[in-house]
Amino acid sequence: MSLALRDLRSKSLLPGTSACPGCPENMAMRMVGMALGNDVVMVVVAGCSSVIQGIGPKNAYGYPVLNIAFAAGSAAASGMWRALRQRNKDTTVVVWAGDGGTADIGFASLSGAAERNENFIYLCVDNEAYMNSGGQRSGSTPHGAVTSTTPEGKKENKKELLFLMLDHHIPYVATASVGYPHDLIDKLRRAKNIEGFRYIQVLTPDPYGWLFDPSRTAEVAKLAVQTCYWPLIEVSHDKVTVSNESLHCLKKETRRPLRDFTSLQGRYKRLSEQDFQELEKYVDYLWDRISKLMD
Amino acid sequence: MRKIISGNEAVALAVKLARVGVVGIYPITPQTTIIEELAEMKLRGEVSADVVRVESEHSAMGVTLGAAVSGVRAFTATSSQGLLYMHEMVWWAAGSRAPLVMVVATRAVGAPWNIWNENTDFMSERDSGWIMAFASSPQEALDLTIQAFRVSEDPRVFLPMMVGMDGFVLSHTKTNVYIPSQEDVDEFLPPRRQPYVIDPETQESMGNIFQPFDYMKLRHSIHESIESSQDVIREIGREYEKLNPLSDYKTLNVEYKLEDADYAVVTMGAWSLDAMEAVDRLRQEGVNVGLYRVRYIRPWATDEIMRALGDKKGVIVFDRATSLGRGGPLYLEMKATIDSPVKGVVTGLGGVSIGKKDFYHVISKSIEEFRFKSFREVEWYYPGEVKEVELGTPRSSI
Repeated sequence: MSLALRDLRSKSLLPGTSACPGCPENMAMRMVGMALGNDVVMVVVAGCSSVIQGIGPKNAYGYPVLNIAFAAGSAAASGMWRALRQRNKDTTVVVWAGDGGTADIGFASLSGAAERNENFIYLCVDNEAYMNSGGQRSGSTPHGAVTSTTPEGKKENKKELLFLMLDHHIPYVATASVGYPHDLIDKLRRAKNIEGFRYIQVLTPDPYGWLFDPSRTAEVAKLAVQTCYWPLIEVSHDKVTVSNESLHCLKKETRRPLRDFTSLQGRYKRLSEQDFQELEKYVDYLWDRISKLMD
Repeated sequence: MRKIISGNEAVALAVKLARVGVVGIYPITPQTTIIEELAEMKLRGEVSADVVRVESEHSAMGVTLGAAVSGVRAFTATSSQGLLYMHEMVWWAAGSRAPLVMVVATRAVGAPWNIWNENTDFMSERDSGWIMAFASSPQEALDLTIQAFRVSEDPRVFLPMMVGMDGFVLSHTKTNVYIPSQEDVDEFLPPRRQPYVIDPETQESMGNIFQPFDYMKLRHSIHESIESSQDVIREIGREYEKLNPLSDYKTLNVEYKLEDADYAVVTMGAWSLDAMEAVDRLRQEGVNVGLYRVRYIRPWATDEIMRALGDKKGVIVFDRATSLGRGGPLYLEMKATIDSPVKGVVTGLGGVSIGKKDFYHVISKSIEEFRFKSFREVEWYYPGEVKEVELGTPRSSI
């Protein structure tokens, strides 16, 4: 699909946010606005985005926002869409949460709402650590990454939310990257027109936690996809689609070397040869499972 | 209409009469039959509410709050561990100034496990910014729940409201309850209005970061609203008497044989009726004693209390709850309100059964102590034959 981003106007993000330079969450928020239009309400779970909005009572997000405690995002959105339905409104409800709010502290309410097939879009902006509190490890932090609570480099693999959410049998599950705006906008638009629980996980590389130059956010977000560390896929009513940008990952020999992704980032400074092999194994595992899904 | 129903059934009926839009439900004894009854009502088509069967109490309040800020009347109920698990969201609801209602069927808090009645769960939320009332009968549980929606949604209040009732003692005991008609309740409780709704049309946002000064002003405004809600509650209470002519909600709290009394007993909840019988017997014996039943913990009716108890020679406060290390919460509140000598009695915890004989015993003994001006400020009372209690700590047995 061809799409001139410049022509897309949305009020999702107003000038004057308190985001850091090179913030991938602001990129994602702008794309949400481009994709979903203006009839949207948002539940923002504790995280960077609670701060990016700026100082109350003003707010730099153009959407009406209910800010809420960590573990309550999915529950609050469940109450919201039901209330809006009772008031005969066709508004899209979006939960916006980080990987901490999704994979860890908020997982029970996420899983509960998914199991009940509540009617909203859950957007996980995955920067692979608790970035708002200074970059501590999360369940979504990859193997080998140095964080402020794993100075030795994390010893465990990333929790696979993609597969966990697929096992909830919800109508729509997708992954995206802020490096590929058209792909994310397409997916959000398709999600908008589906009823029930929709889960989209967006990779949002954070210059300050991943330790790369803030001018290279989009580049790192692209490299994650090109090296197949991060898949762009979509599962809609059991139909699995791998985005064009990720098709080369299905065969091991066509993947771009993983070093191109890791070498740009300071968080992999302690990555031993063994750690690197572990990361490569993780990528193999990821694509093995995706290939099986497609059979 | 009159019906023989339990406190939990009375609450479910109140929720139905209030035409609630969204109910977040999660079971916990002894509250469970409220939400079971609501689910049955939904199946029978008696309520149009969305009944959301969530996966935890934290989410039960999340759903209720989400619905409330989106402009729909919302309700939930819980007890004990459930209320504690929900604690974070209880505070979030108050901070969001979200009008909604919760019923707490009280129960002891673990460890160890104990499912029986105690009010500590309810009392532990008294700093959270909610309006908090406590019932003494299934009738009052129904009345207060209906009134709670009016109070909570009143533009002068705009805060969540919690109604407590003693677990099992009220939640599961069937009594004769007068049920107001739907027409009367509709007239009493008009469709919900609220000044801020999360909605693309209104463009309201809430809950992002506030600077220290602005944050403090918000907390201050909640404090002011709770204090000034006293007049609102009395006004709404008087109006409610049209729905139930036998009821008396002109005041926040309730006096019994107090006017000419030298000594006063303070209680809250179901056991107040046992205490009243003890007061009757003491009166027959010529002891000048009366009773003051606390119905509202928040707002705290300072003026009413000072008028009723300020000149007494001694006040005995019974707590079915603890602030461990300091006695009972009611005792602490009373002590901070009046200058009269106040004695606190902690008893009835974890379902320990306290009857009118126990009240008679403790009250008459305490009055003797007041006369000789020697009383223990806080006493832990064990009923019946138990005269001496041996307390062990893990350390003492090593």
